[in-house]
Amino acid sequence: MNLSWLEWLPETIKSLLLQISPDILIQMEEVRIREGRPLEINGPEGHRFVTLQGTLTLDAKTAYFPKRDDSRRMLDLISNHSLYTMEEELRKGFVTVPGGHRVGLAGRTVLSGGHVELIRDISGFNMRIAREIRGVADPILPYLIDLRARRIRHTLILSPPQHGKTTLMRDLARQISSGGYGQSEMSLQGIKVGIVDERSEIAGSLRGVPSFDVGPRTDVMDACPKAEGMMMMIRSMSPEVLMVDEIGRMEDANAVTEGLHAGITVIATAHGAGTDELKQRPALALLLENQMFERYVVLNRTSQGLGFRILDQQQRTLQLRDTQGRVQGGGSLV
Amino acid sequence: MFKMIGIILILLSGTLAGFHKARQFAARPRQIREMILALQRLETEITYGLTPLPDAMAKMAEQAKEPLRTVWSSASRWMSPLMRLSAQESIQRALNDNWKRTAMRSSEKEILHQLSYTLGTSDRQDQIKHIALAAQQLKHEEASAREDQIKYEKISKSLGLLIGALIVILIF
Repeated sequence: MNLSWLEWLPETIKSLLLQISPDILIQMEEVRIREGRPLEINGPEGHRFVTLQGTLTLDAKTAYFPKRDDSRRMLDLISNHSLYTMEEELRKGFVTVPGGHRVGLAGRTVLSGGHVELIRDISGFNMRIAREIRGVADPILPYLIDLRARRIRHTLILSPPQHGKTTLMRDLARQISSGGYGQSEMSLQGIKVGIVDERSEIAGSLRGVPSFDVGPRTDVMDACPKAEGMMMMIRSMSPEVLMVDEIGRMEDANAVTEGLHAGITVIATAHGAGTDELKQRPALALLLENQMFERYVVLNRTSQGLGFRILDQQQRTLQLRDTQGRVQGGGSLV
Repeated sequence: MFKMIGIILILLSGTLAGFHKARQFAARPRQIREMILALQRLETEITYGLTPLPDAMAKMAEQAKEPLRTVWSSASRWMSPLMRLSAQESIQRALNDNWKRTAMRSSEKEILHQLSYTLGTSDRQDQIKHIALAAQQLKHEEASAREDQIKYEKISKSLGLLIGALIVILIF
């Protein structure tokens, strides 16, 4: 049981959370600390407030209200006593701590020339607990392989936030990079993977070194703007598969197109509950129209489990698996 | 015979006490100066090196002389993640534990105490301001410490011997 994320919480909150039953702790996804407002946790079951006795409740009034000292300590812990080293993070609004956990920050922003210079008076924290689920990509990966050409297909992974896109990306990177996946007779060797990790979420890099196992042949461009990072990767790191999180802007789409034309497989994610939603977003609609992606994976996770739908280039459903793991539609692998 | 030895011992200890006091008067401005220099180094580490506070303190300790070295190195140690102390608590503990070994007074300690509240808790520009303010205040203390040195250093030396002599006269 990996509870390393507890170390980044102030003592008062840590001791409260330690009173919660371990079954809930290991499944927890978020801890939300808001100064002067109830302490909240989020898990597969939805949100709960934490009381002073360490019990869970839905009644906000009886919850523990984190104090000013709590948020000061939290900031001190996650910044290694040195907030001035995190100006870039403060501009972006989150800090990645060892273990790959991401702490989102909210407070009052300071502007400079119309852009956010940094956040000060930080009073809201959202700790997203990063988990490595090895094998989460197992049921999906076979659909992404083009057996005849022995390559990975261009893929777009779609889901609303908190449905496990990043976890899936991490496992895909690991499996593609280490190879040996798929059925034994058609197993492929590991290939070079490049990850452009703008929000340090996929690899959870700390000083440039990934915290998670993203495979032996994987390069990570950490905290790099997506479009620029993709071009840098293509130019200098010669990846065979380029992975990028949450594309959406025009320049991202251009970089993806560039990658596709350079003969590099692109696996990307985007927010959205289905391919129809993409049509409303200009950059993604263009990619959709030009049939740039060969596979679409739409994730849907509930408290029961992870369901997904795989679509082909023309957005026809190849396979659907609901959250209980029931499979509909045969869907050929080739 | 024993009387003689007693007299010599009293005179000797009086003189030594005087010299010690005089040394304190001489050491105080010097240590304040070293403290100001250390703060300037800290400012450089923060602005150009973006060095995290624990590492910056360790570096300051390396370059400082005793007794300041102990102050910085203990602050750096208290900041280790295992201690789970905030920067402010770490620095204040280091000051409380080691201040007696320095020749500096409580007014200088108070300045650093104040600085500990802000160190590491804001952006670079803010940090520079606070460090500069502390350095400015220390300079002020340094000036008054120098005055004290000129006034009292020599006096303490002779005063020690004289007090020793006074005790001898009173006893015998």
